[in-house]
Amino acid sequence: MRQPLSRELSNMLERSRDRQLRLAVTGLSQAGKTAFLTSLVNQLRHAGVEAQLDLLPVAREGRLLGAQRLNQPDLGVPRFPYDPGMASLRDTPPRWPEPTRGISELRLQLRYRPAQQGWFTPDIAHLTLDLFDYPGEWLLDLPLLQHDFYSWSQSQAQHEGPHRRALFSEWLAESEQLDPTTEADEAQLATLADAYALGLRRAKQAGFSDLQPGRFLLPGELDGAPVLQFFPLPGLDTPKETLDALPESSLYATLAARFRYYQQQVVRPFYRDHFRRFDRQIVLVDVLGALNAGPERFEDLSRALQQLMKSFDYGKRSLLTRLFAPKIDRLAIAATKADHVTPDQHTHVVQLLEALLAEPLKDLRFADIPVKALSLAAIRATEAREVLHDGKRTPALKGTTLEGEDVLVYPGDVPSRLPKADFWQQQGFDFPSFRPLPADSEALPHIRMDAAIDWLIGDKLT
Amino acid sequence: MSNPQPRRDFQTEAPPEPTQETLRQHERFAATESHQPLATQAELKALPEETLGAPRKRRWGLMFALAGGATLGTVELATGIPDALSQSQWMAMAWQLFGISLIGLGGVSLLKELGRLRRLKRHDQLRANLAELPQRSSKQAQAMAVQLKQQLALSNDDPHWLAFQRACQPHHSGEEIQTLLRYHLLAPRDREAQRLITRMSGETAIMVAVSPLTLVDMALVAWRSLAMVDRLSRLYGLELGYASRLRLFRHVLHNMAFAGASELATDASMDMLSLDLAGRLSARAGQGLATGLLSARLGLRAQRLCRPVVFTPEEQPKLADLRQDLWRQIKRLDKEPAPAARNSD
Repeated sequence: MRQPLSRELSNMLERSRDRQLRLAVTGLSQAGKTAFLTSLVNQLRHAGVEAQLDLLPVAREGRLLGAQRLNQPDLGVPRFPYDPGMASLRDTPPRWPEPTRGISELRLQLRYRPAQQGWFTPDIAHLTLDLFDYPGEWLLDLPLLQHDFYSWSQSQAQHEGPHRRALFSEWLAESEQLDPTTEADEAQLATLADAYALGLRRAKQAGFSDLQPGRFLLPGELDGAPVLQFFPLPGLDTPKETLDALPESSLYATLAARFRYYQQQVVRPFYRDHFRRFDRQIVLVDVLGALNAGPERFEDLSRALQQLMKSFDYGKRSLLTRLFAPKIDRLAIAATKADHVTPDQHTHVVQLLEALLAEPLKDLRFADIPVKALSLAAIRATEAREVLHDGKRTPALKGTTLEGEDVLVYPGDVPSRLPKADFWQQQGFDFPSFRPLPADSEALPHIRMDAAIDWLIGDKLT
Repeated sequence: MSNPQPRRDFQTEAPPEPTQETLRQHERFAATESHQPLATQAELKALPEETLGAPRKRRWGLMFALAGGATLGTVELATGIPDALSQSQWMAMAWQLFGISLIGLGGVSLLKELGRLRRLKRHDQLRANLAELPQRSSKQAQAMAVQLKQQLALSNDDPHWLAFQRACQPHHSGEEIQTLLRYHLLAPRDREAQRLITRMSGETAIMVAVSPLTLVDMALVAWRSLAMVDRLSRLYGLELGYASRLRLFRHVLHNMAFAGASELATDASMDMLSLDLAGRLSARAGQGLATGLLSARLGLRAQRLCRPVVFTPEEQPKLADLRQDLWRQIKRLDKEPAPAARNSD
């Protein structure tokens, strides 16, 4: 997708003045990307009026004049559905915004008064913030770019726990019989690919995260096309060279060709158009959901995130890199849905998040990129209370569950690191889900959105 | 690691009212029951009452002399009264009564002085506690915020305090509360302190520049510096007595002489330049500016030591911010006599 020259020039001018930022909101499906973006737009829109942004200095000091949605630069991409999202939150009873099914973009212009008036600073400055939303399932395809079919098949086979194997049982039973050297049978491939897609969908239902290829889960416009009819070959023990030498009509070569096509025609454009040029990043992780789902899925999430974060460019920015090869020079990792546990557990949530992302964090530290870990709730759905129970004061949450039942509950402690295997068998976790609070002001209630905004763009708003 | 607590459901009705406090019965545990070391209940206490610091140095000798002198004197004078009364020596009695009241007044002021010294110490304690707010729970942080409010003598309906309370949310951690405290309670005082330092050091600079006598200069500077430290500390809620003032002043000077040396080096070039410029204007103006800069530095040091929450490197006021104001005041001084001089021509 080439952009017209004039638009590119004006973008470049803005970028050279460092008045334009692209924010990557990264998160697997169900991590809360859409809620985060809706809340971000809402908070910035209402900054200085109703929004409670006390941890964002520019808003606290009353210098932030607000934000406006601009016409997005890329007319071929749908606009981020902010108004439908807000409408569903304002509904009676309130609902969460619909999960994202395709890519959408949003451009915000923030206007603020600079903190210090100098000769060259204008009275009112602006900052353009580019945001975009996409289905979390597709994000998982980015690590595919580093593989070829052989190494991908092997990487997929590596992490098959008992639970995962059970979910893929039908596909495994048939595909393990396959001989890569035989002639490809179209009908058989189609049924096997369907079985694989079914397995992926089931694994997603069961809470697994590391599911490739992502388009199998949410095909979009590719539904039924032969490009989606491939799958990894389990148990490849023949050396790569002999397999590569197989004729084109062989099973292995057919699958490899489709994999390559998928990689080049589906994943690469997605990466090139949307994921290469970022300045700031926030990684959203649903830690509580992973705890609810169990240890195998927790590991799975950790692995998925670890692979995912390799797809972004991190490094120091300078004028040149800003213009021609933007790099992420600051990032936040956030445990979302912090309102689903009591405030005293937030430190544990953050520690667990850091444990989950230990490996990528080490790489980032090595690259000297500032990272901040925080727990947040983009749209707060509960109220923190204190209960006198059995003569002891204990914190509790008041809210409405998704089923519409009003509850006052202590959702349980969050461990500061992953508990041992026997704990899961005895007890496990059961963090409830809540529906959003009914609206009482224009600005959405939140937990630490202000701190996140400050970390991500606060340094440009001085 | 202890195992995390499981989920518990409570009734959705309003939280139950606190029930009547009951005394716990005698209860015997079997030796086989599992138990663990008793944890200190850090949550319940807002602040540790005592900290592990250096043992207090008491001047027993001085206390002995003072207490002994006061007691013996009082007894001596008091026992003399009946004699004087019987012999109708009214003057002697008047002297004795006068002596007793003098001792009483001395004692009272001594006690007051001790009280103020104690307050200075409490201030140090509060400072240390506020510094470690990030490690504390939200509840403790709130308790400390109330302490700070009392220290700064803010009323319950003070706009800054109200703004702080509005900004506080139940999910804020200690660190976030510290940020809010800095902004809502301390930043207004900081601005006031800044204005005070600029004004007083500017006035000192002018005074030195126009005063004809060096000896008077010195006395003026000393007196004004003391007054400035005094006002600064009052701004941050510290009432100073004689001894506490002396202690703080000594602390400030000590800090300037040792800790401030490196800072002095970084500022020196700029200082030299402005002094050189001022010296060109007139020798007196140069002297005035030098004194003003010294006085401003003293003020900044005192501010740094009095402020209940330690400055972060970014918000710390710098001498460079004040230098321009000083320079402007000195220049004004130079300009103002100019029309008068022209008139006299």
